[in-house]
Amino acid sequence: MCNKGPLAQSVEQDTLNVKVDGSTPSWPTNPSLKNYEFIDHTADIGIRVKGRDLKGLFLNAAEAMFDIIAEPPVSVQGKQIIKTNVDLKADNSEELLVAWLSELLSLSYAKELIFYGFEIKQMDKNSLQAEASGINTEDCEIKTEIKAVTYHELKIEKTGSGWQAQIIFDV
Amino acid sequence: MAELWEGSLEKIDDYRWRIPKSYKPGMRVPGIIYADEKLLKDIRHDKAAEQVANVAFLPGIVNASLAMPDIHWGYGFPIGGVAATDIENGGVVSPGGVGFDINCGVRLVRTNLQYEEIKGKKIEELANRLFSDVPSGVGSKGEIRVTSKEERGILIKGSGWAVSKGYGTEEDLECTEENGAIKGADPEAVSERAYERGKAQSGTLGSGNHFLEIQVIDQLYGRQDCDELGLDLGQVVLMIHSGSRGFGYQICDDYVKNMIHCLQKYNISVPDRQLACAPVNSPEAKQYLGAMRCAANYAWNNRQCLMHLARKAFEKVFFKSWQDLGMFLIYDVAHNIAKIEKHIIDGKERVLCVHRKGATRAFGPGHPALPERYKKIGQPVIIPGDMGRNSYLLAGTQKAMEETFGSTCHGAGRLKSRSAALRSVNFNVLLKELESKGIMIRASGRGTVVEEAPEAYKDVNEVVNVVHNAGIAKRVCRMRPLAVIKG
Repeated sequence: MCNKGPLAQSVEQDTLNVKVDGSTPSWPTNPSLKNYEFIDHTADIGIRVKGRDLKGLFLNAAEAMFDIIAEPPVSVQGKQIIKTNVDLKADNSEELLVAWLSELLSLSYAKELIFYGFEIKQMDKNSLQAEASGINTEDCEIKTEIKAVTYHELKIEKTGSGWQAQIIFDV
Repeated sequence: MAELWEGSLEKIDDYRWRIPKSYKPGMRVPGIIYADEKLLKDIRHDKAAEQVANVAFLPGIVNASLAMPDIHWGYGFPIGGVAATDIENGGVVSPGGVGFDINCGVRLVRTNLQYEEIKGKKIEELANRLFSDVPSGVGSKGEIRVTSKEERGILIKGSGWAVSKGYGTEEDLECTEENGAIKGADPEAVSERAYERGKAQSGTLGSGNHFLEIQVIDQLYGRQDCDELGLDLGQVVLMIHSGSRGFGYQICDDYVKNMIHCLQKYNISVPDRQLACAPVNSPEAKQYLGAMRCAANYAWNNRQCLMHLARKAFEKVFFKSWQDLGMFLIYDVAHNIAKIEKHIIDGKERVLCVHRKGATRAFGPGHPALPERYKKIGQPVIIPGDMGRNSYLLAGTQKAMEETFGSTCHGAGRLKSRSAALRSVNFNVLLKELESKGIMIRASGRGTVVEEAPEAYKDVNEVVNVVHNAGIAKRVCRMRPLAVIKG
């Protein structure tokens, strides 16, 4: 699906609204400044993630998930960037968080992309519109296969300094 | 590790422990855990027992929420959990009771080779060949290409699709649970996304705990049973562990989401959203079961394709046909599945929805679902252990029919989390240790090997002791690994 090297113009793809463009934002993850911590779970992987507000929490959770999945490339310079729109609805913020991560995970496998940049354009407790930027899976070093995002022990809590969530992934 | 679970456990006998119905309001039946005192200590170290109690909330559940000795903390159901619901009495099906890797399972293939003939260079050659010819690793793609029209055929025909392409024989189908294709698969109930995730993954091993192992039989328990199966000491066998890959994960994901809405619609109360469920007779459950069966058939076909690739690899190394090498399938079992089965409850035959989440079907001798060749000894049950210790071949028993809806354990069961294993295991030290035991590893990623280190697992020998002594399966023979191929 992806050509190597930067493209001069954006290309709209299929109904999922996947765009290809030539911009090359830098990979945001700094390994020494991870925005999440692992919580022990016998069979699977659990994380605790924080954010200043709900939007920040959702962005950090998405970054954390892909940080577990893939090693960031040294540079995305010259790599094709593919942008995907995500539009979701859910009954509450916890289910919206699972829907958000599940959709990104599922798109990642279906489209063979690793997402590294996220922009939430609109969100409230029940809905979210966002754009995710990804590069071809073949351009990344894959560390862990996350099979799914679970509802087990899912928690979103308000803390003194913002928001915190606990998520368990099936691996 | 999570906090110590301090709930009440009543001793029934040396191998069974009861969580009384009074433990939590809402439990419809007690929980029963199969374990000895030693394994029970490990079980108390995570939240698995709490999950056994949670499963007892499911509407229509009969007898007890069961847990096998390899039980450990999962999501929703514990891994190693068995629960049966009575369909006529509002019994439900829960996608979380099957899990994301629908029909993750294992198959065992015999060979005519003796360890003494292949030890050393030949095993290495074989391991290298299997590693290069069987696609493995995260999101790996297969050499066996399938068009989208053919993919729908796989969902109905299961392993029969591979056999129709020449990737196996009718005899392979006879030696597969459900003959490699469970009836009632509904391709219309599968989302486009699931098709997309599954498209290039037929005939791929995957990653995580999935593997392909060359093993040698190092202990026989029942001479007569082994003779029936054509197995002897020193004989080389092949074990394949894989599932429905991204296709199954997506189906589970789609339907858990869907069934969360069913909780309110059908007025069902469960303590964990991952236990979302719907009455088996509801349209939502019928749709899920139709899609789940597609994933189950996809997985059987996948293991059939993997076995075909492995047979071809053996042929290349030994310059003989796989038939001449005696590479016949012993059996293939699912260990993440929900099945509609008939069982005797309080003296009456009932139609139940049996969830096996990290548990194996273990039907006893004479059961009509078994092929003629296994009617006498009972259903072969394949128990993979960790990569450094043993694996087992067991047989189903009548007692399993009476106590556990014809079910038993599925493996060793995890003891340590993956992150704990990564903290405490050194890759090079582990490799040396395995090498000193004569075990060769070929893997796509170092991380997977460390996460799957033997110390991250319970001792499968202890787990099998419990199921054998409790009578819910009997030991046939034991294997030890020679070469491990991992994703």
